[in-house]
Amino acid sequence: MSKEKLIDVNDLATYFHTEEGTVKAVDGVSFEIYPGETLGIVGESGCGKSVTSLSIMRLIESPPGKIENGEILFNGKDLTKLNQKQMRKIRGNDISMIFQEPMTSLNPVYTVGDQIMEAILIHKDVSKKEARQEAIDMLTKVGIPLPEQRVDEYPHQLSGGMRQRVMIAMSLSCDPQLLIADEPTTALDVTIQAQILELMNSLKRQFGMAIMMITHDLGVIAEVSDRVAVMYAGKVVEYADVKDLYGDPKHPYTWGLMYSIPHIEKDLERLEAIPGNVPNPLNFPEGCKFNTRCQFATDKCRVDEPELEEVEEGHYSACWHVDKLEEQKAKQGRG
Amino acid sequence: MISYIVRRLLILPIILIGVTLLVFSMIMMLGPYERLSTYIKDPAELKNVDVDVLVTKLGLNDPWYEQYGRWISGVARGDMGWSESAGSTVTQAFLSRFPATAELGLLALLPVVVGGVILGVFASVHHNDFWDHVSRVLAIIGWSVPTFVFGLIMLMIFYGTLGWFPPSRLDSWALDIVNSAGFINYTNFFIIDGLLNANFAIVGNAIRHLVAPVITISILWWAFIMRITRSSMLEILRRDYIRTARAKGVKENVVVYKHAVRNALIPVVTVAGRMVLGLLGGLVITETIFNIKGLGQFMAQAAQQLDYPAVLGGTLYFGFLLILINLCVDVSYAIIDPRIRLE
Amino acid sequence: MEWQEVVIRLFKNKISLIGLILIIFFGVIAIGAPWIAPPSDPSEPYMVPRAGWGFEPQPPSSEHIFGTAEGQYDIFYGIIWGTRTAFRIGFIIVGISSFIGILVGTLAGYYGGWFDEVVMRITDIFMAIPFLIAAIVMTTILGQGLRNVMIALITFGWMNSARLMRSQVLSIKEEEFVIAADALGAGDFRIIFKHVILNTIFPLVIEASMRMGSMVITASTLSFLGIGAPEGYADWGQMISFARNWILGGEGNAIKYWFTVVIPGGAITLFCLSWNLIGDAFRDILDPKLQ
Ligand SMILES: Nc1ncnc2c1ncn2[C@@H]1O[C@H](COP(=O)(O)OP(=O)(O)OP(=O)(O)O)[C@@H](O)[C@H]1O
Ligand code: SF4
Ligand SMILES: [Mg+2]
Repeated sequence: MSKEKLIDVNDLATYFHTEEGTVKAVDGVSFEIYPGETLGIVGESGCGKSVTSLSIMRLIESPPGKIENGEILFNGKDLTKLNQKQMRKIRGNDISMIFQEPMTSLNPVYTVGDQIMEAILIHKDVSKKEARQEAIDMLTKVGIPLPEQRVDEYPHQLSGGMRQRVMIAMSLSCDPQLLIADEPTTALDVTIQAQILELMNSLKRQFGMAIMMITHDLGVIAEVSDRVAVMYAGKVVEYADVKDLYGDPKHPYTWGLMYSIPHIEKDLERLEAIPGNVPNPLNFPEGCKFNTRCQFATDKCRVDEPELEEVEEGHYSACWHVDKLEEQKAKQGRG
Repeated sequence: MISYIVRRLLILPIILIGVTLLVFSMIMMLGPYERLSTYIKDPAELKNVDVDVLVTKLGLNDPWYEQYGRWISGVARGDMGWSESAGSTVTQAFLSRFPATAELGLLALLPVVVGGVILGVFASVHHNDFWDHVSRVLAIIGWSVPTFVFGLIMLMIFYGTLGWFPPSRLDSWALDIVNSAGFINYTNFFIIDGLLNANFAIVGNAIRHLVAPVITISILWWAFIMRITRSSMLEILRRDYIRTARAKGVKENVVVYKHAVRNALIPVVTVAGRMVLGLLGGLVITETIFNIKGLGQFMAQAAQQLDYPAVLGGTLYFGFLLILINLCVDVSYAIIDPRIRLE
Repeated sequence: MEWQEVVIRLFKNKISLIGLILIIFFGVIAIGAPWIAPPSDPSEPYMVPRAGWGFEPQPPSSEHIFGTAEGQYDIFYGIIWGTRTAFRIGFIIVGISSFIGILVGTLAGYYGGWFDEVVMRITDIFMAIPFLIAAIVMTTILGQGLRNVMIALITFGWMNSARLMRSQVLSIKEEEFVIAADALGAGDFRIIFKHVILNTIFPLVIEASMRMGSMVITASTLSFLGIGAPEGYADWGQMISFARNWILGGEGNAIKYWFTVVIPGGAITLFCLSWNLIGDAFRDILDPKLQ
């Protein structure tokens, strides 16, 4: 791709300094997103997906959290260097975000309309009346029936799926360049999940924004993403086009997730895809953080940490022994 | 909201009957002769009458439920006996002292709620830094000083030494004006009456007399409301919808004052009922110390003089008052929280 | 959190440490009272000795280090023995009313249904009368004296722990280990005690600790109003009631008799402060969300 990068995250590190010790929630994450593209970010619970996205929004609670290192270039501007006032101009306007829990992400004491209008009134120079009309238009676009009526209702009067649509309407109301969706469908039941994903896909065509789609559901990623970053213990361990990643995973972790289980549409959290536990973020192992669960681990893995390297064109993996994985795949492929 | 209020109104009779039963059972702890005074309307009834005859006439040796029936029908008509200490019927005494108490209580409520909420929000925004710790320690101290000790020290300093805030409701010159024919007592709230009569000297004097008691009665509840607001705010500020608001680009003080405070007030309102309960109790001490002729002082004096009808009747009235106030609390609860309003 | 950890943190927390030290200090005074302020009549140690029959309070002197109150009651003696009174009042009232509350709340929460409904309505009724008013009327009817004050405060002091206990039981009842114990056939009584009470003890301790302070304040308030401890009894509220006639001082010196208010008032305040500090620190430790 020759287009300008929309966002370019380099070596991002976000730590939480707690009483128990330093939690290296995100420790050296790099990726980029191009305009209009969808990047999927996938990984087990606690691997730092939400912290990454909140770091981009500069919404990490501080203290205890702090962006320790790295840069987040958005249209060439480093977001980590901006002050809160400058950041507020970007939030909800250039970059907006929807969250996992539609039931709790809307303020219970204000109407849906008030909450959508608030974003519009902050970022656009419009009157209250125009903002209200825009809010109603947005509700129509996200497929909420009777928008003129719904606009004056309170969140508790809507179902979970409807609330997530409201969240989407709110996040798109200022026509953002990047939409960060942090597990937008996890809390919904399966049929509603499919509807919301479909809605997001069609809105993406309509609005042309880039999406950073966070999930621990490999099926969701396969459906919506152009490229995928796989995270493990605060790091990106594999990074590739969605076809390449699914067709030919180059990291033992990704491979484990996909081939040790019969169906890829499984929830990583619930199924123990790979034996062993996610390491405690207060006390990560030396060397490759996956070495406690990796069937290919050697002494080298327990000492030195591998960096993300291009193993095929546009396909990155952080592993010392990609070759061993290839052997194993070859064996199984025949068997 | 209608169904919510109706539901509240439906348990009201149960609580009311319960309170009367509770007070009645305390009456029954007294012997028949002591109980007698709770049934008469005028001490003249006792003159030239054989007490035993009267006890029989009033049925004070009948089974308790018969006595309760008679007593409650009297209570329903406002007959709660004769108060020796007030020299009038309990109901009259109560009504005549109500304005002083209401004036003090209402004036205390406003600074308590507004001040407590502001301080609580302040502490939560400064969570864990210097000001949070200072306000916390002050709150615990405020919570630990007995009202009567605080009141006495207030008197000692602000009246005895500085002469700023005298006790009682008005200076004697002002009292003369209030009791004169030219001054119309519309409400017996001196501040309001002063305004209505366009006599601002009275208003000023009434306020001057109210400063110390209002502070005394407030201090405890300030600490209380502040702590509740603080912990409620801390809880709310962690909610997802606060993050949503920030993600929209909302300014931090709008996040706090618009998005958080309104939600944080919901638990504060629920405990407001408990606060009013304590506030009414605090009136007894404050009125006694500052010599304000209100219901609280009436209760304390009646208790000291073993004026049974007055304490029992007073308790019943306080119970009714509290039930009424709690109803108001429930309504304001519904106003803040649409989840209840639209139920 | 394990209870050992709670105790360790309680000792590490500066605020609760101050509270603990204060309580130990008061405890030492209470235990050592017969040596610190030997009673002249050992059969009636709680009667404060009088240094004469004069009316006017006398300022602190070498003989009466805290001075004397109206009627020449020795303030020092009253404070020392009043510490015992405060502990006694606090422990008895809080102990018994908590016990009643725990029992009522547990039964209501555990059995639920109409029983719960009735019990909670009764609780509402008891809470419909302002606490201090209820205490006043009850003491008036029973007659003056500390024993009756305690009965009154217990009668109207059990509702908070009952409500707290009930809500704790309700939330814990749904949890797995209780259901599991039920399935194993452990008797009702054992289930209630072993699991529920052990798991709800901390919120109750916080509540009790905070109530310790407020109960001692209420009892002393009744004494101050003249319907609690009898005149001359070693009780802090009673000591302060002597001050009421002397608040405005005299001879151009308004704070001439400050010691009659400030010393006993300081004793009550510190006593309550210590319990409140512990309760507050406890709550912080157990509610890490609020840290
Ligand atoms: N405020 C905080 N204080 C301390 N640690 C935190 C904080 N927020 C997050 N963490 C830690 O950071 C790590 C990464 O958390 P994060 O929320 O990013 O995970 P996630 O990948 O989004 O998981 P999930 O799928 O459960 O949402 C976790 O170990 C978490 O405990
Ligand atoms: S570096 Fe070693 S431990 Fe880590 S994934 Fe590769 S083989 Fe496994
Ligand atoms: Mg997350």
